[in-house]
Amino acid sequence: MAGLHLKPRAPLAARADLSGVTPAALATLSLREAEQLAVPYGGGRVALAELFFVEGGPDGVLLIEIGDERLDHVGAGLASGEIIVDGVVGAWAGLGMSGGVLRISGAAGAYLGAEMSGGRIELNGAAGDHAGAASSGSRRGMSGGVLAIHGSAGALLGERQRGGLIVVAGDAGEGLATDMIAGTVAVGGSIGPRLGRGMKRGTVFTHAVPELPAGFADTGSHDLVALRLMSRRVPELGAFIGAATHARRLVGDTLMGGQGEVLVV
Amino acid sequence: MIINGVDIRDSFAEAFPMVGTRLIITADTPEWALIAGRTTTGFATSVIGCGCEAAVERVVPAEETPDGRPGVSILIFAMDFGSLKKVVPLRLGQCVLTCPTTACFAGIETGKRVPLAKTIRYFGDGHQISKKIDSKRFWRVPVMEGEFVCDEDTGSVEGVGGGNFLILARSRGEALAAAEAAVAAMSQVEGNILPFPGGVVRSGSKVGSKYKGLFASTNHHYCPTLYGTVDSALTPEVGSVMEIVIDGVSFDAVAACTRAGIEAVCRIGAAGGVIAIDAGNYGGNLGPFHFKLREIMAGSPLVTEAL
Repeated sequence: MAGLHLKPRAPLAARADLSGVTPAALATLSLREAEQLAVPYGGGRVALAELFFVEGGPDGVLLIEIGDERLDHVGAGLASGEIIVDGVVGAWAGLGMSGGVLRISGAAGAYLGAEMSGGRIELNGAAGDHAGAASSGSRRGMSGGVLAIHGSAGALLGERQRGGLIVVAGDAGEGLATDMIAGTVAVGGSIGPRLGRGMKRGTVFTHAVPELPAGFADTGSHDLVALRLMSRRVPELGAFIGAATHARRLVGDTLMGGQGEVLVV
Repeated sequence: MIINGVDIRDSFAEAFPMVGTRLIITADTPEWALIAGRTTTGFATSVIGCGCEAAVERVVPAEETPDGRPGVSILIFAMDFGSLKKVVPLRLGQCVLTCPTTACFAGIETGKRVPLAKTIRYFGDGHQISKKIDSKRFWRVPVMEGEFVCDEDTGSVEGVGGGNFLILARSRGEALAAAEAAVAAMSQVEGNILPFPGGVVRSGSKVGSKYKGLFASTNHHYCPTLYGTVDSALTPEVGSVMEIVIDGVSFDAVAACTRAGIEAVCRIGAAGGVIAIDAGNYGGNLGPFHFKLREIMAGSPLVTEAL
């Protein structure tokens, strides 16, 4: 079968889990088999066709109309192809994805792109808490790929992030980059308190000096060639950095022996 | 074949496989980029004595470089990949890292990887920072001037080393003028370097020597002052011979560069004192790449004009 087009029959009455419902997995199924695919729903499992009108679609694409804030794990484990959600999604969207593209026109719940290692997530609305973070009990968060949030993000964005790039056009909540290990985050709007507590490495780009824990040291403003490089090599940062050649560099969390940095451009 | 009074001898250049890489060096000004490029490719004329052959390939305008600053591209060739992996980080560390305002980037994306900052980053003593975007990693090494930015590694190519041709002229001045014109034309052909001083060799060599342990010695067949005393390849009117050696990223690149050079010399022609074009070879048994002068020049517009 080629791609798939899902349209909810009604608003979900319980949380549904779309883990593993990816273009690659659906490519091996007939339309009939896809309709009968059992997905966790509330405390049990139901056929996909009980929740959605199921139709064929363009090759390699899974299109979900309307969406639902109880629709969890959309794009979880995505490795290739494209998932388009014309609406909102619940928690864990793009969890552990390693490739492909996940586009969401609305908002997303908690843990968007948690532990993703590759691919790209485009979110037009706001993201819940823990976007790009480590999931419960995990030691490492997002390690690769691009998470682009065109709205704002909740608390603990990039918590224990290990790599990859997160770009937030709006604001970020408290605890941004807590225990960050590596990677890059750029936030265009305001930033909540307690940024970078326990930060080991990694870079947070901002446009204004945020409220920082005591463990951050101000190294002053510097002409950084790396800004010019990243501005050209990384399209998402190109828009953020622009023609800036200087940045104020704040390093921390030194209380934890960390060498992370906040670059104010 | 005679073009504008210049005899294109029925000979060929015999060249060898080499492994090469390209680096893009940028700096705050074109002058500092060129200083870094020339310093990095210094003492790299012949692999026999220098361990590698290297030179500035071209000046790269700011809009083409990874960081938007003026730059140069350099090519470095060695006899095998193991040697290349040794000489590149060594020259990078001593000549680019130390040069004010510079940064260094991969100039080739394909092929086996040659370490750049992968080795040099340790100069940062633990304060170095890396960024990996997609599959590409670069490093920021804190230095007294600010930061040295450098890609983790660069790619490599299996190229050709030792392409060459000889300019036989009436006098030293005329041979040098023709060689300078050739170098100017050849510098416009991308993918090649002319590793000798100013692109010109005045002391072409042959393999071996009467002295034990010496691998190469003067090519006495082309020494004008020995004419009549040895088995000379010259004619009595030849007063000086200059050689141009070419290393390139491919056979086609070297062939195009050779043609550009010979064309420039032929434009000067017999009126400018140029008598003949010849090439250095070892009988065709040592190097797998043969650049036959007449075949290379057969497609030249100068030949058509001559007809």
